[in-house]
Amino acid sequence: MSGTDQVTMALVIKALDAAALRHQAIAGNIANANSVGYRPLRVSFEEQLGFARQALARGERALTLADLSSVQPTLRQEPASQVGEPAVMVDLEMVRLAQNTLQYQALLKGLNHRISIISAAINEGRR
Amino acid sequence: MDYFSAFAISGSGMSVEKLRLDVTALNLANVNSTRGGAGTLYQPLTVVSTAKSGAFAAALAGAGNAALGAKVYEVRPSPMPVRLVYEPSHPDADGKGFVAYPGINSVNEMVTLIAATRAYEANVAALNAAKVMALKTLEIGGN
Amino acid sequence: MSVDPVGFLPAVRDIVSGQAPEASAQAGPIDFAGWMAREIGSVNEKIVNSDQLLQRLATGQVDNLHQVMIGLEEAKLSFQLLVQVRNKLLEAYQDIMRMQV
Repeated sequence: MSGTDQVTMALVIKALDAAALRHQAIAGNIANANSVGYRPLRVSFEEQLGFARQALARGERALTLADLSSVQPTLRQEPASQVGEPAVMVDLEMVRLAQNTLQYQALLKGLNHRISIISAAINEGRR
Repeated sequence: MDYFSAFAISGSGMSVEKLRLDVTALNLANVNSTRGGAGTLYQPLTVVSTAKSGAFAAALAGAGNAALGAKVYEVRPSPMPVRLVYEPSHPDADGKGFVAYPGINSVNEMVTLIAATRAYEANVAALNAAKVMALKTLEIGGN
Repeated sequence: MSVDPVGFLPAVRDIVSGQAPEASAQAGPIDFAGWMAREIGSVNEKIVNSDQLLQRLATGQVDNLHQVMIGLEEAKLSFQLLVQVRNKLLEAYQDIMRMQV
């Protein structure tokens, strides 16, 4: 496998980890929709990839595995909301849930595509 | 994906909202009860829920994300003033002819009911999303 | 509004103008090895492009999801087509080698 291949697979797997963690955070927020003193949870992952996005936008294939090793999806807590304001806005959480589910499934599809290209090479086109 | 803890989180949210629904229904059923269980007046109840204690710290420490759910902190009587209605012919009327009804505001209770229902449905949607994601994960490599 | 006659197809143009259709095919000797190399190069380009699209999706900077999906599918299909072409070529070669002299 070429170098680009490995980086892509590693990046996609990390993004899948981030999406799974994000689902836990959103599910936790929804479960605590009416909890008092609750601080909503968020996952930070895409922000850590700022330099990678810039490189991709410029069309360079500048990513290496070493760049990715420091990127990790992490949980973050938002500051406590003001008194009287709901801590969790259920509708926004539902939107985030839909977006995250779609992202997860799109990444899975991409992973399957890469795997099927390699398996087509291995099987010489025979199923 | 750790679908087990995702189910646990949504399940905890659903049980909290279900309890809130039951308590609100109990309050609404007792709007006109002049006599409570032990002979005293019925006290309307409120459900106070919080996040599971130490959930965030445990999740950061990698001890699993099942602790991210919600739990019921307490079910406490709400301090609403008693409603006094002038009905001298009522068997429970006091000396001055006033009957004491529980201080339940039907409008507030209906709002709580709707909020609890909406939150319950949102938890069900989160559970379904987790299930769909887990099923799709099983199809990796299936062309 | 006028309707243009159907004249944009090269074959139709040849027939209409009375030229022999084989003339266009004899532009020069057919360079099969070169053509094959070019096709392999273009399939490689498609796969590398799909890699980039997937990286864009993972970093969350995708504006339209359908472009990513189309690019991925194109790469996969091109590669499978290439593999089938290679199989057919091998078969033809083996057929020829099997021929009794």
